[in-house]
Amino acid sequence: MCETGEKCDSGNDNVPMSEQDTWKDVAPISQDDGANTICPIAYTDEYREMMGYLRAVMSKCEVSQRALDLTSRVIVVNPGHYTVWVYRKKLVEELGSNIENELDWVTEISEKHHKNYQLWHYREALVSRLLDPKAVSEMTEEQLVVHPVIRRELFFTSSAIESDSKNFHAWSYRQWLVRTYGVWEQELGFIDTMINEDVRNNSAWNQRYFVLMGDGRGRPTKDAGSPMEGSLADSEIDYATDMIKLAPNNESPWTYIVGLLVRHAPAKLYTVLLPKLKELAADGSEYAAAMKTTPFYWSALVDIYEQQAKDLPDQADDLLAQASEVCDVLATDHDPMRNKYWEFRKDQLVPNI
Amino acid sequence: MSYLFSYDFRYDDNEYETETSVNQIEVEDRIGKLYCRLVDPQTLSNGGDMDDSKHKLTYPKHEQFIRDAINGLSSIFTALDSSRPWLSFWCLNSLDIMGCEIDDMLRQRTVDTLKTMHCPSGGFWSDPWQLPHIVSSYAAVMALVLVGSEEAFQVIDRNAMYKWLMEMKQPDGSFAVHSGGEVDVRGIYCALVIASLLNIMTPELVRGCSEFIGRCQTFEGGIGPYPGIEAHGGYTLCGLAALEILGDADRIDLGRLARWMCARHMAFEGGFNGRTNKLVDGCYSYWVGGAFPILQKALRRSPKDDYLYERAALQRYVLACCQDTRSGGLRDKPGKNPDLYHTMYCLLGLSLSQHYVGVEPDKEFSDTVSVYSVPVRMMQWGALPAGLQVIGAKSNVVRPVHPVYGAPFAPLARCVKYFYALPPLAESLAQK
Repeated sequence: MCETGEKCDSGNDNVPMSEQDTWKDVAPISQDDGANTICPIAYTDEYREMMGYLRAVMSKCEVSQRALDLTSRVIVVNPGHYTVWVYRKKLVEELGSNIENELDWVTEISEKHHKNYQLWHYREALVSRLLDPKAVSEMTEEQLVVHPVIRRELFFTSSAIESDSKNFHAWSYRQWLVRTYGVWEQELGFIDTMINEDVRNNSAWNQRYFVLMGDGRGRPTKDAGSPMEGSLADSEIDYATDMIKLAPNNESPWTYIVGLLVRHAPAKLYTVLLPKLKELAADGSEYAAAMKTTPFYWSALVDIYEQQAKDLPDQADDLLAQASEVCDVLATDHDPMRNKYWEFRKDQLVPNI
Repeated sequence: MSYLFSYDFRYDDNEYETETSVNQIEVEDRIGKLYCRLVDPQTLSNGGDMDDSKHKLTYPKHEQFIRDAINGLSSIFTALDSSRPWLSFWCLNSLDIMGCEIDDMLRQRTVDTLKTMHCPSGGFWSDPWQLPHIVSSYAAVMALVLVGSEEAFQVIDRNAMYKWLMEMKQPDGSFAVHSGGEVDVRGIYCALVIASLLNIMTPELVRGCSEFIGRCQTFEGGIGPYPGIEAHGGYTLCGLAALEILGDADRIDLGRLARWMCARHMAFEGGFNGRTNKLVDGCYSYWVGGAFPILQKALRRSPKDDYLYERAALQRYVLACCQDTRSGGLRDKPGKNPDLYHTMYCLLGLSLSQHYVGVEPDKEFSDTVSVYSVPVRMMQWGALPAGLQVIGAKSNVVRPVHPVYGAPFAPLARCVKYFYALPPLAESLAQK
């Protein structure tokens, strides 16, 4: 029996469906757009024909191998046809098709259509069926990462991301995978690889935050709670500043470290991050020139001084004055295109009453 | 006339090449070639003075591009076969923004087409063999709003629409885009646009929407599709506009949002990118650029203060880089082909950077708690004439648009007038 419709039908591609034995009992339903339709699409005869048969089998809710094969053909031509995916899901379930083979087929489709929403959503459904997350909730991460289903998904997504490093859908899918099965620790290794390949890959930085902090409220599998452990904050500061050294004018590590600390360890902004940044920017440091010309350094100082002023009211006036000066320098020298923003940012700097 | 520009604004890769920096510099080189024709060579040593007086929006070309699409699309567009309501929205909206005529015949064609895409049990689909889709429903409703006739409004069964939207509603406040479909901030935005225009907002429908959007604001400050996922221009507009409909923009950290949105403005190119360290793209002229007026209101900034970004720079990017002056239509960036999607979003972005749209502070309606205040609050938005800033030819000025809905004001006002004169939903549901 043919598992992947594409292979099965490929020999018949040149024979119209109306002449194929498989379809002789089916009357295709044509699409009635009316003569007056706006933006009519000049479908190919082949597409028009296969859609006619698709409508016919869908209207009968037919569950059959030929229907499954037909959905393969439609999806190859038009993967955005979300209804076909829903129909296919039902067919695969009711026909008891081999899910592994189905995943292989989706992988094939993904190579051509990696920006498509449906196939990733469909993949989630298949993987959940193959491996019930509840059934593995007692397994450790060490056991999970060698489980063939998880291992394949990790491999599949890493190759998708390696060929298109900021693929939004692939990264989102990976979050689903990590969250659903609780394979958090392995993810840091993957993120490191991606950041090492391109330190400017912001999707990887976002993933780093996700792995350490969940969706901003702690990892769902661990105790939720906003403040992060001090040692973790310190090691993230070390990591981010090391990455900043490679190319200071890179928004990602700056946004990452400041965003992380503002949310989860605000005092570390001025107790740990600030001295490190000052050191990098100090006269004689090999990074001084690059640090002082990137707006991200100055922008971080504004955030840091503002937090410090909040926490240390007796020094607030002085700190806010410094922050305000930095805003001026940004507006005129380091980031003139965003001068309106820096004026606004300056106006935001008000003492806590 | 020259607005802020400098070759010094080019990306500094600190002589450390990665895939991102190589791509960025390649795009800047391509755009630099277009800009250098507009820069006085004598001024190059000072970063370059740009002559911004020559930019021209080539209306007839773009109009023809759209009218050709209305009359027929090649088989390449089969990929959009399940998004067909979008085609009418992109075309009609682009024509309306440019002030081109939408005659009775085109209106009739649109109504006839969308009738075939209306699902009797609620929502819109491309054809009756598909499932109704929330994003297609948004596009279909918007296209009918642009037609603006009673016949157009009557295509929509609002009771069925409401029931269907409630079927798509998830326990966490979000909406699935179709039965069995994915869940993200787009769903909330489309549902709220539809509901606010059709007078079917209820406390049940809006329950949990703000909380969900709040969870989608990332540590960077922008909004992602789903909690945990990277902040992205498209979802940021959807999230912020949805909060504006709900009167709940204070739900998110507006300061971090402002920082992130301003960082999306590309200093050299003048347009916006959609994510940190990604490339400029004309469509973000709306997705990010169009979020600034909403941000402005959320921050309670006075119309006297301009938006937080350089409006002239965005106009320059759209006019000099996004127009395909040969074939008509607008595009992502130089070197890409124009399409209907980019045509509409570039035009929306252009409009929102020319006009200052907002709410006169003394007119601001303070009741933001009740969902029933929505039509009043939404219709207070308008273009404030003193805020007009147009670069290049005077004729470049296009119609002002509502940033929340992404369409000109007049058709929206007609729609609200029609649907808010109908009996409230509870009453009409009881009558059935």
